[in-house]
Amino acid sequence: MEGDSKPVPVVDAQSEGFWRATAEGRLAVQRCQDCGHFSHPPTTICNACHSVPPSLEFEPVSGRGTIGSWTVMRQAFLPGFAADLPFVLARVKVVEQEDVALIGRLVDGPTAAIELGAAVEVVFESLPGGAAVPAFRLVGARS
Amino acid sequence: MSGRFTGRNEVAIVGYAQSPIERHSRLTLGALTIETCLQAIADAGLQPEQIDGFTTGSILPAAGGHGSVDGVDIVTANWVAETLGTHARWLCGFQGYGQLPGSVILATEAILAGSADYVLLHRALSNPRRGYHQNPMTSAAGGAQWVAPQGFWGAPSGIAFSYNEYLQRSDATRDDMADVVVGLRANGAEIPWSYWHGQPITVEDYMSARMIADPVCILDCDIPIDGAAAFVLTSAERAADLPNAPVYVSGFAQGNPTAASLGMAWSLDDVREGSARTAEMLWEHTGLTRDDIDHPQLYDGFSPFIWYWLEALGYCGPGEAAQFLRDDSSKRLDILHSGGALGNGRMHGVPQMLECYLQLSGRAGPRQLDGKRVGLACHSSANFGGVVVYSAERF
Repeated sequence: MEGDSKPVPVVDAQSEGFWRATAEGRLAVQRCQDCGHFSHPPTTICNACHSVPPSLEFEPVSGRGTIGSWTVMRQAFLPGFAADLPFVLARVKVVEQEDVALIGRLVDGPTAAIELGAAVEVVFESLPGGAAVPAFRLVGARS
Repeated sequence: MSGRFTGRNEVAIVGYAQSPIERHSRLTLGALTIETCLQAIADAGLQPEQIDGFTTGSILPAAGGHGSVDGVDIVTANWVAETLGTHARWLCGFQGYGQLPGSVILATEAILAGSADYVLLHRALSNPRRGYHQNPMTSAAGGAQWVAPQGFWGAPSGIAFSYNEYLQRSDATRDDMADVVVGLRANGAEIPWSYWHGQPITVEDYMSARMIADPVCILDCDIPIDGAAAFVLTSAERAADLPNAPVYVSGFAQGNPTAASLGMAWSLDDVREGSARTAEMLWEHTGLTRDDIDHPQLYDGFSPFIWYWLEALGYCGPGEAAQFLRDDSSKRLDILHSGGALGNGRMHGVPQMLECYLQLSGRAGPRQLDGKRVGLACHSSANFGGVVVYSAERF
């Protein structure tokens, strides 16, 4: 029913490699095969070297990163997340390239001790239809 | 190549109008806008048929799951020209953020180039009935797929990332921000057309307000409203023959778009680097320095923007904005004198521009301050919005 379910990603030509990987439990980030620069969100031309024709492929990354910042969501602008409130969203800088950031839920939740620079690793949250969304958990946190 | 503005003080604001700012107007947005535009034209001492240029930045509200019908939810420059039925030689809409500085820049350049003699610049904002950022999407296409399936949506949530990082990396606290918001609301309470007229708040009100996305609370966000404002611009030469004291456009700068963005979840370093570039271009363009500005009006659609602009313009160093405001409360009240978006309602940069115009033209009435000659009006965050310097004199 409209409004009650969480939004599922609409896979397109640029994002297909990302979502195929997450559905298999892997994190992959688009990388320029000419200069090695990672881009996220995926782009149509490398922002670093602008080589044409673009040679952009999704490559597996470690899934490790650090917390760039975070927020505790107290209001659900997307009604499908109302039942999850409050929850933590983190902007995670991936270890492979610091200016590549992903937004994901921090599954440790709002009571966890979170700080800038804390190490995290990727986990995956399943959506109906086989898709999976990357989320993160603190590394070495007490469970 | 020099970044100096060769058209400095050659174009002026010569009239204005501001509608009442209400949660929901009794008028449709189109009717409210036309009424306001006609008032601005009359205020400038002109007839509608003399207006030959039209501009605005019409985007937003756009984040929620609602439509954008021209004349109802948004009002474009084309819609105003068509409805007024005047002969437009120049029609141009600004795309992107910092909509108000963006359209001032377009209007100024059109007048300098001779493409239009009298430009009507309007801004119309509406408050959608289903909630501004509320979005019932069940699938996320395009840019939304990188944020919405993760539970991230809405500008207040985006700002929370850089704001929280600011708090984590400095000694600033939400108590400091309480003083900013209380100051804006105190000034807004004095403004007759403000939604918050006669409604100042206390620090306790702020600290007990509902949290949206930590550390952003509801009072850190300007309230969505229905409202319209309009300004008339012309050449300095023509302005001399019109009834109001002209206020000149002395220069401007715009933030550059960033390549990859996830909502507005910028890193603080990205905010600072982008903002510093904007400020550098502004000083280059105007030939002025911060010390030449005696009425800086900083943007505050989200309260942390005040801190970001203070740093960007060089009033304080990184992380020192809260301390700067703590140390100089009289300066703070001048910076916040327009009441801003938090003290007026979500007029998107209009309060800052209008404040500069009213003070520099000597038309601020009981709110008139002494000795204000050079003002600065910001819109949006310094890393991706814009800023215009206005002057009471040609220099």
